[in-house]
Amino acid sequence: MAVDVSMPVLVVDDYKTMIRIIRNLLKQLGFENVDDAADGSEALEKMKGKKYGLIISDWNMEPMTGYELLKEVRSDDDLSRTPFIMITAESKTENVIAAKKAGVNNYIVKPFNAATLKNKIDAVFGE
Amino acid sequence: MSKKVNAQLDRSQIEEIADYLKKGKTSDVSLKDVMALAELMVGSMQSFFEALDSSVYSELREIADYISNAKDEIRNLQANDIKNNRIPQAGKVLDEIVKSTEDATNTIMEQAERIMAADTEDAAAYQGEVNDAVMQIFEACSFQDLTGQRISKIVETLNFIDLRIGRLAEVIGSGDAELHLTEVEAASEERKKNLILHGPQSAEDAISQSDVDDVLNGAADATDDTSQDDIDALFN
Repeated sequence: MAVDVSMPVLVVDDYKTMIRIIRNLLKQLGFENVDDAADGSEALEKMKGKKYGLIISDWNMEPMTGYELLKEVRSDDDLSRTPFIMITAESKTENVIAAKKAGVNNYIVKPFNAATLKNKIDAVFGE
Repeated sequence: MSKKVNAQLDRSQIEEIADYLKKGKTSDVSLKDVMALAELMVGSMQSFFEALDSSVYSELREIADYISNAKDEIRNLQANDIKNNRIPQAGKVLDEIVKSTEDATNTIMEQAERIMAADTEDAAAYQGEVNDAVMQIFEACSFQDLTGQRISKIVETLNFIDLRIGRLAEVIGSGDAELHLTEVEAASEERKKNLILHGPQSAEDAISQSDVDDVLNGAADATDDTSQDDIDALFN
């Protein structure tokens, strides 16, 4: 399945600079329709109002972490099939395993580069 | 009873007099006898008191020295200086580091975005735009030098505190007590545990992207306490 670069993407991170970085990288990959949220709860609110084709989320945020957001998304009938990529500084094996068990589609550790982001998005959509 | 108390009074006689005194019958015992008895008893215990004094004195001296050394080290701890000056100053320096790195990052990103958006049709204008943006990026990168110096100040403060606490612990011979967390600290630790919040790892502790990919693909060797069976189970 080819990646539809026109799909809305939601980037979730409490650090504005990181959102800016990911947004710019996505723009280089052709994704122009990008929204952002500062934590999991804000992301959930946005997801209830708009259908996103991809969620890219950090882990360590408050009040709701990316891990909690992932579990909420996977337990919601309307949202459960939304592709979800974790981009995070949480770089222990137990984090990766927990995210996998919770239904993450891919996992990127910070710091990362544009090529990695592209590869993981392509992998999620079967490219 | 009227017995002459003399320096050679033996134990049985002392007991008899003591018993007699306890019964309150003082008519046959003269004041002189009682005083002599008291003097005799004090005299007989003098060596005991002398021995007691020197061993007590020695122990008290030791305790006094210990307390004095501990007090000196507590004074040397400079606790008030640490609390009122050094730690607030270190906090301020950390805030400055965050601000300066944020400002530098924003400048670098703005100039990078400016380059990406620049019109390439006019080559000379484009080159000018790019050169100008790149110069601003170079200038912004100077934050690293200041950051390094600021971090050195923080490390100096930490070393100051570390040295003094270490010395105090050594002087008073103190080990660590069992850690008691406040309610807020305990709740924070519980949250970190439940949500697997470790934070950024050092280069040697963090797993690489290729290790992550191996875990996701089920090809990882178990390097943590999680076994390969656990990983395989995720994909069956």
